[in-house]
Amino acid sequence: MKTENETAAAVLELRHVTKLFGQFKAVDDVSFRLGPGSICGFLGPNGAGKTTTIRMILEILKPTSGAITVLGRPSALEVRHRLGYLPEEKGLYKKMKAWAIVAYFATLKGMTRQAAKRRAFELLERYGLKDFAEKPTDALSKGMGQKVQILAAIAHDPELVILDEPFSGLDPVNQGVMEELIREMARRNRTVLFSTHVMEHAERLCERILLIARGRLIFDGSMAEAKRTVPRRVRLETEDDVAPLRDLAEVSAMRALPRAGAQTDGPGHASQQWELELRENSDPQLILQTCFGRRIRLKSFNQSEPTLHDVFLRLVGAEAKEVVFR
Amino acid sequence: MRYALLVAWREYAENAKTRGFWVGIFLFPLILLLSIQVPILIEQRATPVRYYILVDPSRSLAPAIEAALEKSYQQQMLAALKQYARKNALPMTNSAAPRPGPSLEALNEADAQSLETFVAKGGRDFFLAQIEPRLHPGAAPFREPRRLFQQVKLPPAINPKAELSTIAEDLKPYLRQDKLVEANGATVPLAAAILIPPQLEDQIVRPQPRSPAAAARPSATPRQIQYWSANASDNRFRDEVERAVNAEVRRREYLARGIDAGVIQQIERTYVPFVSLNPKKEKGLEAMGAADIIRQWAPSAFVYLLWVATFTVMQMLLTNTIEEKSNRIIEVLLSSVTPGELMIGKLLGIAAIGLTMVGAWVAASFGVLLWKSGGAPEVTGQILLVLRTSNLLPLFAVYFLLGYLMYAAFILSLGSVCNTLKEAQSYMGAMTLLLIVPLLTLPFIPKDPNGPLARVLSWIPFYTPFIMMNRATADPPLIDLVGTLVLLVATTLGALYLAGRIFRIGILRTGQPPKIVEMLRWALRR
Repeated sequence: MKTENETAAAVLELRHVTKLFGQFKAVDDVSFRLGPGSICGFLGPNGAGKTTTIRMILEILKPTSGAITVLGRPSALEVRHRLGYLPEEKGLYKKMKAWAIVAYFATLKGMTRQAAKRRAFELLERYGLKDFAEKPTDALSKGMGQKVQILAAIAHDPELVILDEPFSGLDPVNQGVMEELIREMARRNRTVLFSTHVMEHAERLCERILLIARGRLIFDGSMAEAKRTVPRRVRLETEDDVAPLRDLAEVSAMRALPRAGAQTDGPGHASQQWELELRENSDPQLILQTCFGRRIRLKSFNQSEPTLHDVFLRLVGAEAKEVVFR
Repeated sequence: MRYALLVAWREYAENAKTRGFWVGIFLFPLILLLSIQVPILIEQRATPVRYYILVDPSRSLAPAIEAALEKSYQQQMLAALKQYARKNALPMTNSAAPRPGPSLEALNEADAQSLETFVAKGGRDFFLAQIEPRLHPGAAPFREPRRLFQQVKLPPAINPKAELSTIAEDLKPYLRQDKLVEANGATVPLAAAILIPPQLEDQIVRPQPRSPAAAARPSATPRQIQYWSANASDNRFRDEVERAVNAEVRRREYLARGIDAGVIQQIERTYVPFVSLNPKKEKGLEAMGAADIIRQWAPSAFVYLLWVATFTVMQMLLTNTIEEKSNRIIEVLLSSVTPGELMIGKLLGIAAIGLTMVGAWVAASFGVLLWKSGGAPEVTGQILLVLRTSNLLPLFAVYFLLGYLMYAAFILSLGSVCNTLKEAQSYMGAMTLLLIVPLLTLPFIPKDPNGPLARVLSWIPFYTPFIMMNRATADPPLIDLVGTLVLLVATTLGALYLAGRIFRIGILRTGQPPKIVEMLRWALRR
């Protein structure tokens, strides 16, 4: 049971939110809470219910049941001037000038015309679009257009920013700029919720991961917690028999990896790569010690942290199961 | 409301920057100007001078024809002089200059006696001398109208004393314009030849009441007046000559039968004044004047304006809504404004664009009329009087707004469910058919403004704005005026309410547009 203070402090809170389209359950009993100054990745496969959830947060859609609190208010429209939103499918008024679009959306968020215009030019200059400020948006490249739209979403310095696939369409340099922009907002105690399909961005940026699949929230936790959902793995390569490793209590599963090209050192001596899944809290050093003890000659030994990509595949794939840490 | 106004302002400002808007603004007065100016220009410049040959060996009819053509030219001259005076001289009433002779304002080219007076006084020179003291400083000199029909002599190669059939044969190459004739030292194409046989008396057709067969036209051609021309479509010259010949023949007939031609002429100019009176007007002012004619037809002009404005604005609204939807801008907008605010903003913004356009059209049309009437106070004054004393302008505003909002509700619903203009086209086709009815009935309503057709159509809300506007100056029954307005307001509000519901759902929907039944379900679902 949360106290009233905790609720008031939450920038965003969803409680048992469900959305039905006819008989189809697009979002199913989703609950989570975001505090100020956090960067949260909202991940999930296509059609998982991310956009519907975002639209409900922004009150573009009404939930069938459940409650949403945004910046302490039950309606996002009441605090719309404190919210910023970049939708997944980007679009701009083709004939409007870049500065005018940024300024227009800023005025819709409560800024005065003069302040919005000033802010538009300031942002366009800061993010390298000064020379394009007076150009109609159909004269801009796709990436530039997207940058303009991102700037339009944050021009009014919102407290909660929701970015749906902010990196798509940006080149690596601008992806870096975008990442820095998100970090900078968090440093100023702004809360950022963003969805992405590129796990590397989420891994670099997020303190918190929300994973949604088939309308249900299947993971809500920190990055470390997310990684703990995937067993640690060890990869080794040897020509010798690895049967002794299979019997170890620390190893929960073991499989031969497919061969990539010729790896033979001579007749009858084929080198093979193996992947071992370790049980929780097992030490990979034990595998190494066993190899030395049983005279298994190693050509390579590699222990690696699971990536968010592994987490995603594991949780969203066939083995998907709900893991909620909060 | 602040957000709706922001959306409205953007709609207005952005649409006002489009090429289509400015083309729309200028095209209407341009078309109006061209429709007035082009026929005048064609008449003045493009119609070539028609050179003709008149062969009348007995000279029995040639002087009459020449006199009639001269009279026709003098009519043109007088009209041109009056136009020149309107543009370049102070009105007579404002002038202290002496006014010897007949009043110039009283000269009327359409009145035979007045024209005779003009010619007798000295024609052009007399007129110019009269207005000279009142001419504006620096006024351009008067340019005489061209003589459209000019006589040329028979080419020297043709024997004027030959038989008419020979002359006709010899003239054919000229009439086919294989050869040219001489006129004023230049060679010009021959447009027509009139050959009058010497013994015309035998050819005159007289009514024979007792023997109708004898009244039939004689079939022998060589002894008729022959009009030769390769141009069969422009009959003005032929008609003028035929009228002149028949007038002269009748004049001679009067004389031959011992009737005084002067008396006949006087009798022909005798008439009883006729006045149209309107029982609905104030006592003593019942006579119908130009203002009444304008009053009767002005609503039609407003209906046309209403129609063009509604149709243009509908297109803008549709294109604009589909652009926002297909670009997915709508989603960002909906995170900042409610669907209701967005819809109201769009409706207001585009309505303002429509009113700006209509305002510009009315002003430009008025300007064109003022200019083309040469500043004639009677025309513009009458129009202003009608606009001031009738309820046309406020009614136009009311019917434009209600009609626009009603149709806009359908357009917004349509725009919100279609992803491309192509998808919307099939629905727009139906809408266009619906909108054509008021245009088709446009000319019939003023003739019977309170008849069954007008009354029935008035009660169909889709047509109420157009039909009631067309009946505006015909004092429709109060029940029609109030009842149709109430029905229109109710329909408009209902349409807007349902459109709001469809808009809210449709605008975020992607993929194929829904069926009409499904849209109705959205609209009516609780």
